Amino acid sequence: MIVVDVILNGLMLGGLYALFGLGLSLIFGVMKIANIAHGEFAIGGAFLAIAAAIFLGAPLWLAVIGALILSFVIGFGLQLVLVNRVMGDDPVPALLMTFGLSIIIQNLLVELFGADNRSLDIGPLATAGIDLGPVSIGVFPLILFVVAIALFAALHWMLHHTKAGRNIRATSDDPDMVGMMGMERAHIFAIVMGVSAALAALAGIMLAMRGSITPFSGAERLLIAFEVIVIGGLGSIWGSLLGGLALGLVHVIALRLDPSSGPLYGHLLLLAILLLRPEGLAGRKAQR
Amino acid sequence: MLKVDGLSASYGDYTAVFDARFEVAAGETLALIGANGAGKTSLLHAICGLCSAQGRITLDGADMHGLTAAKRAQLGVALSPEGRRMFASLSVQENLEIGANTGRTGPWTLSSVTKLFPILGEFADRPARLLSGGQQQMVAIGRALMANPKVLLLDEVSLGLAPVVAQEVMQALAKLRTESGIATILVEQDIRRAIAASDRFLCLLEGRVVLQGASKGADLDAIGRAYFGEGTAA
Repeated sequence: MIVVDVILNGLMLGGLYALFGLGLSLIFGVMKIANIAHGEFAIGGAFLAIAAAIFLGAPLWLAVIGALILSFVIGFGLQLVLVNRVMGDDPVPALLMTFGLSIIIQNLLVELFGADNRSLDIGPLATAGIDLGPVSIGVFPLILFVVAIALFAALHWMLHHTKAGRNIRATSDDPDMVGMMGMERAHIFAIVMGVSAALAALAGIMLAMRGSITPFSGAERLLIAFEVIVIGGLGSIWGSLLGGLALGLVHVIALRLDPSSGPLYGHLLLLAILLLRPEGLAGRKAQR
Repeated sequence: MLKVDGLSASYGDYTAVFDARFEVAAGETLALIGANGAGKTSLLHAICGLCSAQGRITLDGADMHGLTAAKRAQLGVALSPEGRRMFASLSVQENLEIGANTGRTGPWTLSSVTKLFPILGEFADRPARLLSGGQQQMVAIGRALMANPKVLLLDEVSLGLAPVVAQEVMQALAKLRTESGIATILVEQDIRRAIAASDRFLCLLEGRVVLQGASKGADLDAIGRAYFGEGTAA
């Protein structure tokens, strides 16, 4: 029964990992750049919710929604005002720009909130569990998992069944041609960055509900997000889900068998994927 | 309709077109003739705002200098690009519909485009990348028409197509030419085909206009010489 327990917990942790990867995957798929500030977007979003809940005394649901909306606005604005200026055939300037942003956001968070551990209190939900005979699973991890899956489905639906989604896919296919379709590429990039920042913020908020965070937690989340999208297949939305679940499973199994291993086996999984299947679990072989 | 005056087009340090001037009236088709690298595509890109340009480009009197490609598309400039440039992950219908994003209204809708190219209606739900070259060319033209443009720029529409398919595409264009009031610029390497499908022609050599005139009764030999740059020094 330990096996079932480990698998369930691994999958549920994987749902959170996948959510960290989702926003990064969206950015990479559409803009072909790596957003180094993705981890800081996640942690910054969580701190926004913490600020609203703890310092302003807002109810939790309002704090979360407010933080998500604000994260969208910040991501949208940063892309429109800063990152779009350096977008071009060379991905390096955009990479450096987001690297700079990640440092600025991190220092801003330290300045505002100090370096203490902080978390979002979700009350008795944190310890509630469901007994399934021989195994029991936590209610909150289950909610987290369901939310993650639902967001993947929602993003997929948005991309394939709405006009905005169609425009985003077209931009991903051929960013130079969308202008001739009457669309400003810069605006689409900004919307995508906003959505990605909100998704990152939600992952960060859930992390802060599940445990605790500091302003320095971003780098580790960025690493997880990167591992998720590389394992799953770069730019593939569903690949990120697969990558997240695989990474979660490996982490939980490894920690059970070798409690002192930390994230080692997750990194080894990444290495194995890069060696054996560099296009990722769901990726297609390079076409062009 | 479209007026180009003293237009130079460049990519970075490389200047591809020098001091071009011409006009295209509503309902008129201008053929741009020239060898590979003569600057035909660059000239179209300069009109679209896809490369940097100096000089005046006006559409119905409105100066388009400094406007983004999106703004020009909204004003009524549409391009069927070289290489067709399908949005690969979109279906045929989505590729057509996205052309209507300029928000311009007019006679061109999904149903009128599929009337012009019936095969596109049949394959509406297929991914555009799975179509043949000729069918993709029809999508590219249809996508440009969906914008209900004032100026339609057609870049190498017959390139890489089997002669019979190219013929089919050119026939659809001929129908367009008689029925619509769109000002059209047609880029074409095949001189005979270009002259047959146009009212006036303009021959480019190494970025400069070396010959222009009416297509009707044009001297194909003279165009041929201009095309290859023979005898222009004399």
